[in-house]
Amino acid sequence: MIRLRPFFLTIGFLVFLLIAWAGNTYCSAQLTETQGQLKTFQEEKEPEKIVGAPQDVKQRTGIWVFFIWMWISIIVLVFFLRLKIKEVDRLNALRFFSAEKK
Amino acid sequence: MKNRILSWLDERLGWAGITNFLTKKTVPLHKHTIWYYTGSAILLFFVIQVVTGFMLILYYKPTLEMANASVARIMTEIPLGWIIRSVHSWSASFMIALVFVHLLSIWITKSYRKPRELTWMSGAMLMLVSLFFGFTGYLLPWDDLSFSATKVGTDIPRAIPVVGAWATQLLRGGEDVTGDTLTRFFGIHVCILPIFLIILLAVHIYLVQKQGMSLPLEAEGQQEKAREIPFWPNFVFREMVVWLILVGILFSIALFFPPSLEKPADVMAPAPEGIKPEWYFLFLFQTLKIFPAHILFVTGETLAVLLILLAVVWFFFLPLFDNKPAGTRGKIVTLLAYVFVLYALIMSVWSLL
Repeated sequence: MIRLRPFFLTIGFLVFLLIAWAGNTYCSAQLTETQGQLKTFQEEKEPEKIVGAPQDVKQRTGIWVFFIWMWISIIVLVFFLRLKIKEVDRLNALRFFSAEKK
Repeated sequence: MKNRILSWLDERLGWAGITNFLTKKTVPLHKHTIWYYTGSAILLFFVIQVVTGFMLILYYKPTLEMANASVARIMTEIPLGWIIRSVHSWSASFMIALVFVHLLSIWITKSYRKPRELTWMSGAMLMLVSLFFGFTGYLLPWDDLSFSATKVGTDIPRAIPVVGAWATQLLRGGEDVTGDTLTRFFGIHVCILPIFLIILLAVHIYLVQKQGMSLPLEAEGQQEKAREIPFWPNFVFREMVVWLILVGILFSIALFFPPSLEKPADVMAPAPEGIKPEWYFLFLFQTLKIFPAHILFVTGETLAVLLILLAVVWFFFLPLFDNKPAGTRGKIVTLLAYVFVLYALIMSVWSLL
């Protein structure tokens, strides 16, 4: 069971990469169409309020890709940190650090 | 090779004392240990504030004509400018929220008692500096909302007898909120407050290290049984997990809920409807609103401001009012903490209705 975990993780990463790539390609294709519409809209009306986040599809997709990658990285790092915590707690229980101090 | 470099640096910098201290320092492990993480989390958000703030300064122009336009440029033209601004704004809120949680946890666990009175006072001062950071930063985009909120906010000290008018004038740099106020707030925000904060932070951290981490009442009774873990590496690794999760939450919110920018403030225009300060001032804002115009021979506003000042002074000197020895209970002080939280929540929600 434990040996299968890296396998599923790798499969998960590959599926994610595929989805991210496909999504990006799809959005790039839509971008050309949307940009034209956006320009006309901007020329027609000068907005009074500037919205915080970028509105075009490509950048919005980028935000989602960054968001997913960020959480994957955090989960992986937390996983390794938990292993390290278990290890140092075990060493502490064996009084390894107090022996080191002496 | 690595050891040679380290010993070369140690001979010159003498950091063996610090590393020695960190390896010997221990952290108590009990059911309230979670509160110990709030201190370093505040520090984390402060560092994020400094880094993103520095990036924003590169493009921000603190003048009446350019302030709003430069923020608009940061948001629309500068690569990733919108996310830097969003992270800066949200991390300020995170930091202040954690400062509240940190102080409340100390209040409830009575960790301010002897010999940690000065640690509490320096912490309370840090909270005031953080709030002032938020207040001065709010005006900088110079849009309709921030302008009107600052106008209301800087008008509040006027209600204080004798020195009120002078304090308002000092804050604004004149009679009204003008370009001078903007420049003044910018200077305070990026120069004076950071200096104060760093000095107070250094004092606070020194005091925390000097007095050690306090034990809550339940753990103090069974001190011989209390478990301890080394600060390095056991506690630091745990803190890293908390930091990672907090950074994840911060970026998630900053990505999907970035602050917008209203049109440039018009000094001559009437105040727009629905002016609201930042969330951490809402309960004070509502407190001022519920007071009637006149109570006996004083104005309601004056009375409200004086009461708020009195509460701040009481909060600051709490260890002197509750000076029982550590380890004894103080039900009234705990009850006051819960009442304060409830009051702040009710007032904040009320002001949003």
